[in-house]
Amino acid sequence: MAKQIVMDITGDTRHEFDPLDAAAVAKALARFKELTGAGFTAAVRRGAGSSELVRHFDPAADETVFFPRLRGG
Amino acid sequence: MRFVGIDLSLGAVLITLAILTCALVLGHVHEVSRRRTAEEKGLTLLRQWLSPAQLAQYEKYGYFEVMGGESGKHYRIRPTRQMNVDELDQHGARTAAWCFGPDGELPIGDVMLAQKIALENNERAALALANRGSIPQSPPRFG
Repeated sequence: MAKQIVMDITGDTRHEFDPLDAAAVAKALARFKELTGAGFTAAVRRGAGSSELVRHFDPAADETVFFPRLRGG
Repeated sequence: MRFVGIDLSLGAVLITLAILTCALVLGHVHEVSRRRTAEEKGLTLLRQWLSPAQLAQYEKYGYFEVMGGESGKHYRIRPTRQMNVDELDQHGARTAAWCFGPDGELPIGDVMLAQKIALENNERAALALANRGSIPQSPPRFG
C-alpha cells in the first residue's frame, strides 16, 4: 500500500491506497493536485533519510509527505 | 418561602457554575490529550524520515544536523519554534540563526521534518523566505 501523509494540527492524516487499483490511484492523484494546488509541498521518501520534492504525482512512490506552505518566522 | 426561593436560585446558579467548570476542565483535558497525541505523531513521523546518523544525533542530543542541498552548508535543527535552525561553520560553531517553517499550528516534529526536507532539497528558496537572526558575539575582552 502506498501512503500519502498530510501534516496537520493532529500531527498528520494518512491516506493509503493500492497503486494497482485504478480508482484508488485516481483518488490519490486528485488529492495530490488539491493539496499542491492549495500550496502544500509534496516530498517523496527515497531512502534512509533522503527525500525528493515532487511536483507531479508519482503513483509508484511508497510514501509521500505533504506540508503546508513555508513562511518566514 | 422567599428565603427558600432565593436558596433554590442560588443552588441553580451553583449547579450551573459547577457544570460549566466541569465542561471547561474536561475540554482542557481533552485539548491537552489531543496536543500530546499530535506531538507524538509528529515525532514518530520525523524519526521515520531521518537518516540513521540524524536519528542517532536526535536521540542523543535532541537536535540533528542536515546538509544544505545547494550550498553544502551544515544546519542544526533544534526542537523549538523560534529561530531553531542554526547555520554552522566547518567547526560546528553557529554563524547564523534562521527562522522559517510550515504555515499553521503543527506539532514540533512536523515543523522540524518540513525544515529538513526544505533545506536538503530546496535550500535557497527556504532561506529566501526565512528571517535571519543575529548571533550574539562574545563581549570584548579588556585589560
